[in-house]
Amino acid sequence: MTTVSAKPVRTTARPPRPAPLWRRLVRTGTFRTLGPFVPVIALWWLVAALEVFPESFFVGPPEVVDKLGELLEKGILPGYLSDSLTRLGYGVGFGLLIGLPLGYAVAMLPRLRRFCWPILLFFQAIADIAWLPIVIVWFGFSLTSVTFVLVYTIVFPLMLSVVAGVEQVPRELIRAARSLGAGRWRVFLEVIVPGALPSVAGGIRTGLGYGWRALVAAEIIVGTSGVGFMMFDARRVGDISQVFLGMAVLGALWYALDALILAPFERATVERWGMVRRLEADG
Amino acid sequence: MTALEISGLRKTYTDDYSGEEVTAIDEVSFGVEKGEFVSVLGPSGCGKTTVLNIVAGFVDLSGGTVVVDGRPVAGPGPDRGVVFQSHALFPWKTAYGNVVFGLRMRGVPRTERDERAREYLDLVGLGGFEHRYPHELSGGMQQRLGVARVLANEPAVMLMDEPFASIDAQTRRKLQEDLTRIFESRRPTVFFVTHDVDEAVFLSDRVVVLSGRPSRVRDIVEVPLSRPRRWDEALALPAFRATANRVNELLAGDEDDAGHLDAVS
Repeated sequence: MTTVSAKPVRTTARPPRPAPLWRRLVRTGTFRTLGPFVPVIALWWLVAALEVFPESFFVGPPEVVDKLGELLEKGILPGYLSDSLTRLGYGVGFGLLIGLPLGYAVAMLPRLRRFCWPILLFFQAIADIAWLPIVIVWFGFSLTSVTFVLVYTIVFPLMLSVVAGVEQVPRELIRAARSLGAGRWRVFLEVIVPGALPSVAGGIRTGLGYGWRALVAAEIIVGTSGVGFMMFDARRVGDISQVFLGMAVLGALWYALDALILAPFERATVERWGMVRRLEADG
Repeated sequence: MTALEISGLRKTYTDDYSGEEVTAIDEVSFGVEKGEFVSVLGPSGCGKTTVLNIVAGFVDLSGGTVVVDGRPVAGPGPDRGVVFQSHALFPWKTAYGNVVFGLRMRGVPRTERDERAREYLDLVGLGGFEHRYPHELSGGMQQRLGVARVLANEPAVMLMDEPFASIDAQTRRKLQEDLTRIFESRRPTVFFVTHDVDEAVFLSDRVVVLSGRPSRVRDIVEVPLSRPRRWDEALALPAFRATANRVNELLAGDEDDAGHLDAVS
């Protein structure tokens, strides 16, 4: 028997309002993505054109674009990029494989947590780069060394965010699940894991960001290839436009990583479920 | 047949600051028959929610017994589904996913799950909303979903902890009528905690009035209203007013000897 005669609410289409051209332009995705960079690049161009700094210290956008073309043609940039991304992939992959289970274990087992917490804080304080000297002794100038530093960088913020996420799961959701017949293991899988996701997603984002920076630093020191190595090598031979290009590539790549992987993941999960507010309230 | 039997229930705890032993519940005894709707009412801070939490198995009791369907309560279980004031729906599950949660946990086969989910979503007027996530539903719809989620699991008793307290007055009236209709058509056993006298009288077969801390049963009031019940009819009945007045008197009598508690809570 239907006791309430509620029908699905249909969203009524708003009457089309004629918007001025500039406003329609401003609303497009491309503009939202690239628009903010216009003044930054303009300022950069201006500073370079006015020759505030000598040209051997500071180059403008045209030189960097030329360099980009040259390195693409020679295949150097694609090669170095794929090296860097492969390392990042390894580091992040192992970082997640280690950090997520360890984080949930520490969060769920109070005794393990009491035991691990001081150790966690101690090792978190040792900067990732500070490990490089000993890591190079152990593993040499190898992929293992870079991966080690990356994993180290990613695991700690990830673990801390998992612990925070598990604590944020409302007690009543756990109680509801238990009183619907869920055992402790099902409560963990069905309530705690998804319930902690907003914080965990934030932790993955932070971890990846740290990892990306650590990777570049490690490549500068350990590197035989990669974007970080490319920049440092360019500095040695005085190729400033290549250094600038390296910096631009790092920023652009991180932005792409965020836009292509992290943001869609969050849109499909925690934002879809209404657990976090969208950054852009209206589409 | 008795679905829920509470006898000599006591709850004491140690205050974190003073280190003193505090008695929250002192000798609460009453029963709920199968298919009966019983409300527990009391001044704020009297421990009525604690009674519910003990029945649900969320909180341990200090003394006495709680028996559901002949078995003493030990921890939470699917025989005692809870409807929470905060709804406590799973945000990452659709309306359908929430309703079938208990059935999945208990290993009910898929075809039967689908059938029952449809049945109970229709029962609470949420047919057609099965693919919506909780945050896409209104407060009233969320709470009806909370009721469907528990009833689909067919518990021995449905526990409701001030389920309409956070909902605006007009919607609340509507939800109370919806709940009455559902109760009248299905006759589940309901244990309902509230601080709203009219709500308790309108919904219940009997109202258990608790005293202020430490809680005791002040009296149990029978509601002499026939079913089906509707608000406009109930409000016009002298019997409704008389029962509500009787319950109010019991509560007021409490304020005389424990009036200072209101200032505390």
